[in-house]
Amino acid sequence: MTDFSIRSDNVDVEQIMRQIRSRIREKRGVDYTEEEIRELANVKLEKFLDPRGVRSDLLEQFRRKREASLPPNFKFEDTTLYETHRGFLAFMRKLLNPILKLFFNPNPLIEALNIQSKLNAQQAALEPLYYEVIHNLVLETTRLGIDVKNLKMRVESMSSRLDFDERRARALEGVVQYRPGAVAPLQPPTGGERREPRTDSEQAERRNRRRRRRGRRRPDDRGAMTAEGATSTPGATGAQGAERVPHASGESGESSGSGNHERDSDDGGRQEDRRDDSPATNSDSNSGDFDSNAEDRSES
Amino acid sequence: MKLAVAVQRYGADINGGAELHARYIAERLARHAQVEVVTTCARDYVTWRNERPTGVEEVNGIPVRRFPVSHERDPLYFGRLSGRVFDQEHSIADELSWLDSEGPASPAMIDYLARSAAELDFVLLFSYRYYHAWHGARRVADKAILVPTAERDPAVGLGIFGPTFRGVRAVMYNSHEERAMIHAATGNQAVPGVVVGIGSEIPRRSEPIRFRKKHNIQKPFAIYVGRIDENKGCKQLFDFFLRYAATFPRGLDLVLIGSAIMPVPPHPRIHHLGFLPDEDKFDGIAASDLLIMPSYFESLSMVALEAWAMGRPVLANGRCDVLKGQCIRSGAGLYYERYEEFAETLYSLESNGPLNARLGRNGRDYFAQHYTWPVIEGKYLDMFDRLKRADAGGSSRPPIEALPGWLARRRRDQRPAAEILASIPAGAVVSDREAARDLSRSA
Repeated sequence: MTDFSIRSDNVDVEQIMRQIRSRIREKRGVDYTEEEIRELANVKLEKFLDPRGVRSDLLEQFRRKREASLPPNFKFEDTTLYETHRGFLAFMRKLLNPILKLFFNPNPLIEALNIQSKLNAQQAALEPLYYEVIHNLVLETTRLGIDVKNLKMRVESMSSRLDFDERRARALEGVVQYRPGAVAPLQPPTGGERREPRTDSEQAERRNRRRRRRGRRRPDDRGAMTAEGATSTPGATGAQGAERVPHASGESGESSGSGNHERDSDDGGRQEDRRDDSPATNSDSNSGDFDSNAEDRSES
Repeated sequence: MKLAVAVQRYGADINGGAELHARYIAERLARHAQVEVVTTCARDYVTWRNERPTGVEEVNGIPVRRFPVSHERDPLYFGRLSGRVFDQEHSIADELSWLDSEGPASPAMIDYLARSAAELDFVLLFSYRYYHAWHGARRVADKAILVPTAERDPAVGLGIFGPTFRGVRAVMYNSHEERAMIHAATGNQAVPGVVVGIGSEIPRRSEPIRFRKKHNIQKPFAIYVGRIDENKGCKQLFDFFLRYAATFPRGLDLVLIGSAIMPVPPHPRIHHLGFLPDEDKFDGIAASDLLIMPSYFESLSMVALEAWAMGRPVLANGRCDVLKGQCIRSGAGLYYERYEEFAETLYSLESNGPLNARLGRNGRDYFAQHYTWPVIEGKYLDMFDRLKRADAGGSSRPPIEALPGWLARRRRDQRPAAEILASIPAGAVVSDREAARDLSRSA
């Protein structure tokens, strides 16, 4: 998620762009352009590929070997043996050809060499294709290597976030279950039992807890605040009411507390969602200005 | 004061960048001086066919004198010559042939400028790369003020343009990047120059709700205004936006205003409204969240300035130095060079209200400071005063450099223009300080 807090009049566009780019890099692990990938494919394959299997300069080697080892092809037809640029000599060879054929038959030789020249031509035509296939394979392998690396980083990042969420959930459960002095949420009201704080320290602790709860309320929790004011009303849901009405104390106290927790976790969830929504980043930072506005805009 | 504005085409119905620029400047300067427009009879910038009558007519109260074009452009021949001068070793004669084939060749127009130069104070020549500007600058160098409207294309590397840029009285640049490029290409730092640009008629009131109702657009949207053309970066814009739309199903829509030369991909979140009158255009910009400028080559984007004037941020193609530089200097826009940046910046402008609002406010301030009409007119008038003072002071200037001789002109010793362009440093002029330093160097 983008988290630029615009608090001053000066906006440094370059700074924002730097932040955006660094976030893209964070998200993608390593951020390569097409040209860089090509360069990597040609030069530094060993960083991404198994060096035992593939040479780093494979393409270069292939290209060099192909250029060095390519002999010039030849054409071989039935007249090739007798060709000459001298007309007289050509005439004589043609004239004496029947005599030559008395000694051996050149036709199979001519035929074999003709086939060989065709095979050479075919091979030469295929070589660029081989080269292209290898080139593309190397490119794709490099790209896959980078993708794997990025995916690994993402998996690591997600597993750490999962760990964090699990710990957070456990912590929240612990707060709900083991609050000292709280009645179990599903326990039916027992009626009339009221546990007064026995010591000064217990009373002080209780006051602190109440203050903490108030502190965590948000300004929009007006209803809760009003209910809190209705201290003398039996069955009021506020914490104060809960104190005065013994059989409601546990439930209402807890519900108020868990309500806060729910709201917190809702917010957290929304923030997480919005982070996931980000096109390129998963920044954990949280900017109030931006987030609230983003929410407003998405609502509208 | 008597001024002539020379431009390749002119008319109320001509919306090309340099031509519109020339018209606006002519109409604005007519409040301070006697202005005559000198132009051709052409209407089509590809063929330069004579389509308007020769002679004088009035356009929005400005007298316009038209001259016939001597020959139309042969696209094949022009393409062949372009290939030669841009990509191969060539001669000055090749470049002159290229200029002639590019057109609009109108010797009558140049003769008229030369004849009437004595009565004129200054001649404003628009678009350095065309026939009229090159020949006009050579014939009336003492009165010539060049408005180059140069983009980063290989033509700027042609050898014939160096003497033009060094020989005119002054150069009115559109942007700091344009000035830096021309300085590097031609070494004309000694010629008085100022970055001016152009203003725009911004309506006092806009009605975004009316626009939304009229075109039935309910959702927030980004807007693109201009010709929908691959050369304007629209293909890349569509590719990027379709990917973005797939990633963010509830994100911004894209509204396109302008005539389409390439097909617009059918998508429920892309709305092509065609060519709209100015009123609708401004309402559309006011209704939008931001303006997208995907063009690679711009000497100055009027639409971007209009968006800034209306308090809307701009998302520009970062490969265009001019737009990138303006975004940075104004603090009123973001830019992208590839999809990841496009997605991230668009998302930021879409979702980050304070950022969007701040950039929009900066844009409005930037426009007010640099591109309102009083500022633009003032810069032109200051330049006229400065040149007149120099004339009155009796400062002498060397005449424009002569062309080499017949044989030297045919020697193939000119480097390919594309190679020269590649050697010119690119990049945005990022700070006002840098721009000021550049200005002081040229002064």
